[in-house]
Amino acid sequence: MQKINRNVVLALLSLTSLVFLLFQLCYYKFYLSQKNGAAFSKVRGSQSGQDSTRWHVVRKFLGLISSHNIPVYLIDPLILGLVDKDIDQIRSSPDGPSPECKYFCAPRDFTTFALLDKTWKHEVGLFRTAEKMGFQWLKIINKDPRLDGMDDLSGMEIPLHYIFKLASHAIHLVVFYERSGNFLWHGPLRLKQHMDRKFVPFRKLHFGRYPGAYEKPDLLLVSIDDLKVQIPKNPSSFLEEMSHSRFLECRYREARAFFQLYPDDASLDAVEFRKKAKSLLHLAALTLNNLGVKFWLSSGTCLGWYRQCNIIPHSKDVDLGIFIRDYKAEIIPAFQKAGLPLKHKFGKVEDSLELSFLGDDVKLDIFFFYEEDDHIWNGGTQAKSGKKFKYLFPKFTLCWTEFVELKVHVPCETLQYVEANYGPEWKVPVKMWDWKSSPANVQDNGVWPVDEWDDVIQIY
Amino acid sequence: MDEWKPNPAVKPHKKRSWYLAWKYKLMNQRALRKLCQTGAVLFLLVTVIVNIKLILDTRRAAYEEEEESAQDYDDEMLNVEVPRHPVNNKKVLDVEVYSSRSKVYVAVDGTTVLEDEAREQGRGIHVIVLNQATGHVMAKRVFDTYSPHEDEAMVLFLNMVARGRILIFTIKDEGSFHLKETAKNVLKSLGSQVAPFLSWRDMWTFVGKKGGEVYGEKHAKSPALSTWGDPVLLKTEVHLTSVEDAECHWPDTELNRRRKRFCSKVEGYGSVCSCKDPTPIEFNPDPLKDNKVFDVPVAVIAGNRPNYLYRMLRSLLSAQGVNPQMITVFIDGYYEEPMDVVELFGLSGIQHTPISIKNARVSQHYKASLTATFNLFPDAKFAVVLEEDLDISVDFFSFLSQSIHLLEEDESLYCISAWNDQGYEHTAEDPSLLYRVETMPGLGWVLRKSLYKDELEPKWPTPEKLWDWDMWMRMPEQRKGRECIIPDISRSYHFGIVGLNMNGYFHEAYFKKHKFNTVPNVQLKNVESLRKDNYETEIHRLLGEAEVLDHSKNPCEDSFVPDTEGKVYVMFIRMEQEADFTTWTQLAKCLHIWDLDVRGNHKGLWRLFRKKNHFLVVGVPASPYSSKKPSSVTPIYMEPPAKEEGAAAEPAVAAAEQT
Repeated sequence: MQKINRNVVLALLSLTSLVFLLFQLCYYKFYLSQKNGAAFSKVRGSQSGQDSTRWHVVRKFLGLISSHNIPVYLIDPLILGLVDKDIDQIRSSPDGPSPECKYFCAPRDFTTFALLDKTWKHEVGLFRTAEKMGFQWLKIINKDPRLDGMDDLSGMEIPLHYIFKLASHAIHLVVFYERSGNFLWHGPLRLKQHMDRKFVPFRKLHFGRYPGAYEKPDLLLVSIDDLKVQIPKNPSSFLEEMSHSRFLECRYREARAFFQLYPDDASLDAVEFRKKAKSLLHLAALTLNNLGVKFWLSSGTCLGWYRQCNIIPHSKDVDLGIFIRDYKAEIIPAFQKAGLPLKHKFGKVEDSLELSFLGDDVKLDIFFFYEEDDHIWNGGTQAKSGKKFKYLFPKFTLCWTEFVELKVHVPCETLQYVEANYGPEWKVPVKMWDWKSSPANVQDNGVWPVDEWDDVIQIY
Repeated sequence: MDEWKPNPAVKPHKKRSWYLAWKYKLMNQRALRKLCQTGAVLFLLVTVIVNIKLILDTRRAAYEEEEESAQDYDDEMLNVEVPRHPVNNKKVLDVEVYSSRSKVYVAVDGTTVLEDEAREQGRGIHVIVLNQATGHVMAKRVFDTYSPHEDEAMVLFLNMVARGRILIFTIKDEGSFHLKETAKNVLKSLGSQVAPFLSWRDMWTFVGKKGGEVYGEKHAKSPALSTWGDPVLLKTEVHLTSVEDAECHWPDTELNRRRKRFCSKVEGYGSVCSCKDPTPIEFNPDPLKDNKVFDVPVAVIAGNRPNYLYRMLRSLLSAQGVNPQMITVFIDGYYEEPMDVVELFGLSGIQHTPISIKNARVSQHYKASLTATFNLFPDAKFAVVLEEDLDISVDFFSFLSQSIHLLEEDESLYCISAWNDQGYEHTAEDPSLLYRVETMPGLGWVLRKSLYKDELEPKWPTPEKLWDWDMWMRMPEQRKGRECIIPDISRSYHFGIVGLNMNGYFHEAYFKKHKFNTVPNVQLKNVESLRKDNYETEIHRLLGEAEVLDHSKNPCEDSFVPDTEGKVYVMFIRMEQEADFTTWTQLAKCLHIWDLDVRGNHKGLWRLFRKKNHFLVVGVPASPYSSKKPSSVTPIYMEPPAKEEGAAAEPAVAAAEQT
C-alpha cells in the first residue's frame, strides 16, 4: 500500500510538472511572439505591410508639416545612407517616379527630420491637426542654453525634440537653434519624470543622447519614393559631420561660482587683451578651417573655457592643439597670409613640433599632439639649451563647444585634460606660470642633437 | 491528458485499466520502476530549469525595456512638480481684512495676500480683486485718495473689473480727503453702506462681489480731527462659484485660449477680458514694403509695471512692419503679471533675477537683456531697444527701415533714436526731418551689435557701481565723439509717470507735452544728408539761407520770432567753450524744453521749430558755425538765476528720463 502511494505521488508529480512545463512553454512562446509583434520590435526581415506603414507615416507627416508651411529636412542617417548611394541619380531626376519603395520602406523604427527653430512660429495648430490625423505626439522641452551663460536669466523653456507616433512608426523631429558661433545646435533628449518612458524606445534614437553642433546645411529638394523632401545637399558629408557632432555646453554655473571666488579682472588692459585674443582666435579658426585642419583649444585657452567660460586675461597667449596626423605644410604660409608672422618653430614633424605666430600683441601657440597606444603627448623645446620636454595627456576625443562666439573643438574629457596639464589645483588662478616646470604632466625628454638645432629651433 | 503516454513501452491490457497495468509492471519490474522514477525526477529538474530561464528572460527583457527608455535620457534634475494650489473642493473662502492707521492686511483662507505696515507708504484705499471661482488674487492696487485725482484712477479701475469678481477694500492711514462724490457713488453701487459717509481718518473695510452680494463691511469713525478711527478687523466668508460661471464663453481659438488664461488670472485690463466684445490681442498691421528691420530683434526692457507693458506692447504690435517673432520682453525680477501680459500677446518673455540695487539694477538688467538678445539672434547686426513705458509710433519701423543703413555704413554714428529730447508740441514740426545730435536720447533706439560686443559689453559698469546705464553710455569714453540720428518729431512717447527716476510732477513738466508722430508711412526727407560730411554741407546751406533774428529782443518772448511759417531763422548765443551751456540752459528753460542737462546739440548748434519756422541756435564762439555770424550781431547772453534756485535744480539733473 505504501509503495503504491509513493508511486502514485511520484506519477502525479511528474504529471503536474509536465503540464506545468507545457503551459510555461506555451506562455513563453506567446510572450515572445507578442514582443515581436509589438509596435517597436527588432524588425527581422521585412514584411511588406510594415514597409508600407513606414512610407505612409512619412507621407502623412510631410503632408502635415507642409499644410502648416513648416520647412523640415531629412536627417535620418539610415535613409540618408541609402540615398547617398544613389545620390547622382536622385539629383539628376528630381521628379522621376520611382518603381519601388527603396528608401522610406527600409526597416527602421524612426524617421528623423530636422526643423530650424527660426523658420516656424510655434503654432499650436500643428499639434491639433496632427492629433486629428491620428498622430500621438510628445514634446521635449528644456532650458534655453543661449540664456544659460547669462547672469540669472530665465526664459521660457524651448522645444528641443518632437516625436510623432502613428501605428508602428514614429517621426523624430529635432529642433535646431542658431547659436552665436554661426552654427546650428540641437539639444539633448531628456525625459522629465512624468513623461511616458515607453512612448518609443528612446534608446534607439539617432539624435538626442548628446547635444550636437552642425554647420548650417545647404539643402536640396528631391523626390524619393514619390515623396518630395528636403535633404542636405551632400548627405555623405552630413553623415560624417553627424558622427562627431557631440557638443559640450560651457559650465556656466561653475564659471559663475569661480567669479564669485575670484572676481573678474575688468581693467582696461584685461578688456583690451580679451578683445585681441578673441579676434586672434577667430582669425586662427578661420585660417585652419579653410585648410580643413582640425584643432582644439589647448592649455590656458582650454582652461579658460573650462573654468570661467572666457579668456583668462593674464594668460597672454592663445593656445591651440592639432593632431600631428592633421599637419599640413600649408599651415605656416596660410597664417602668414592671414597677417600672422611665424615667431618660432620648434621641433619637427616627426617629433615635438610646435609653432608660434605673432598676432596683434598676442601670441598664438600651436602644439602638435602625438598619439601613442595609451596616451597622447606634445613636446616643448627650450630655445637656449635645446632641452626637450614632453607633456603627457590621457587619450581623448574631440567635442564641439561655443567659445567667444566661435564653434570650436575641445577635448570631450576636458576635466582629465585640464587636470593632466594643471594638476588638481586647476581651479585656483595662478599668475606665475613656467611652462617648463609648472605643468603637472611635464617630463624631461632629453636634448636635441646640436647638429639639428638649426632645423628644430627656429626663431624669427 | 488522454493523449499523454508516460511510457510508450507499456501497453495496457484490454480489460485492465492502464493504472493497474502500470502498477503491476512497476511491482514486477524493478528496473523499469527505477527508470520511471529517474525520468520523473529529470522532468522535475527540466521544469525547474526552464522555469528559471523563463523568469530570467522575462526579467531581462523588462529591464532592458526600462533601461532603453530611461538610461541616458533622464533629466538630471528631478523636476518634481508640486501642485501649487492643492485641489480642494472647498466652496467657501475665509476672508480677513484689517484697516488701521499704520497697518493693513488681507488674508484669504489663512494666507496673507496683502500686508503693508511700512511707514510713510501705502496711504489710501487698498483694493484687492479675487477670482470668484478660484479665490486667486487677480489684482492689487492702492489709491492714495488723500491726494487729488487718485479717486478718478480708482473709479477707472473699478469700472474695468469684470462683474462677479470679489472686491476687497481697506483703508490705511487716510483715504477720504480727496474721495469725491463720483467715487463714493461707485463704492455705494458696489453695496457699501458706509462709503458715502466716509470721512477724515475713518477706518473702513469692505468685501463684496461686483454687481452682487455684500459679504461684509466694517467701519470705525475718527472721533476727532487729530486722531484716527480705531483699527477694524472684518472676518467674513465668501462663497465661490463654479469655474464655468466665472469665465466668458469666447469661441475656442488659439487667441481666445490665451485670452482666457490671462483673464482668469489678472484684472484691470479693461475690455481685453470683456465677454461680449473683447478688444483684439492680435493686430496684423500692414506690412512694410522693403522692410529693412524685419529681422532686427526687438528687446523690450520691463520691470513690474504690467499695465504699462500692456499699453506698450499694444502700440508696438500695432506699428506697421512689426515682426512679433523678433520681440523679446526682458522682465527685471520674477514677476508673474508682466509675464502674463507677455503671454497674452503670444510673445516670448525672459525673467531676470535682480542684481544689485536701484540704478545699478536697471543697468545690470540692460546688460543681461542686450547680451541675451544677441545670443538669441546670433545673425542680427542690430537690436532695437525699447522700454515698457513707451508708446510706439505707427511708423516706428518705417522710420528705422529708412535710416538703418546709415548706422551700418557711417562709422561716426553711435545710435538711431526715436526720441527727440527737444521735440515738444511747440518745438517740433516736420515728421520727415532728421537730425544728428551729440547726445544719446535712448527711449526707443537702435544699437549696433559690434558697438555692444566690442566696446560696451566688456566694460559695462559692474553691479557695485551705482551708475545709470544711459548716463554711462553718454560719457565721452564710450561715445568717442560719435553721434545719434533722431527725428524732429519723436517716434516714441514716454507715458510712464511712476518709475525709478520719475514722478507725476516731473512727467508733467518734461514729458507730457512731447510731440509724438501719429502719421503712418512718413517718407523721410533726404536721408543721405545725414551722413557725416553731407550733414555739414546741409548745415552750411541752412545757415546760408537763414534769416538772422533781431538780437536786441528778448529771445524768451514770443515776438522774438516773426509770425511767419516755413522760414529758417538763426540766433547766436554766447558759448565760451565747448562745455559752456550757461546761456543755452536759460534759453531752454524759458522755451519750456529740456533744460536739466544739454541735449540735442551738434557742434554748438541746436535745431528746433518755433511758430512753424525752423529755428537755429548757434553758440558763439565755441561752435564752428560761428563764422556765419554777421559781425554786427552780439551773441545773446543770459544770466543764470540766483544760486539757491540752481542748487534746487541740481538733484533733478540726475533724474534722466530713463525709468
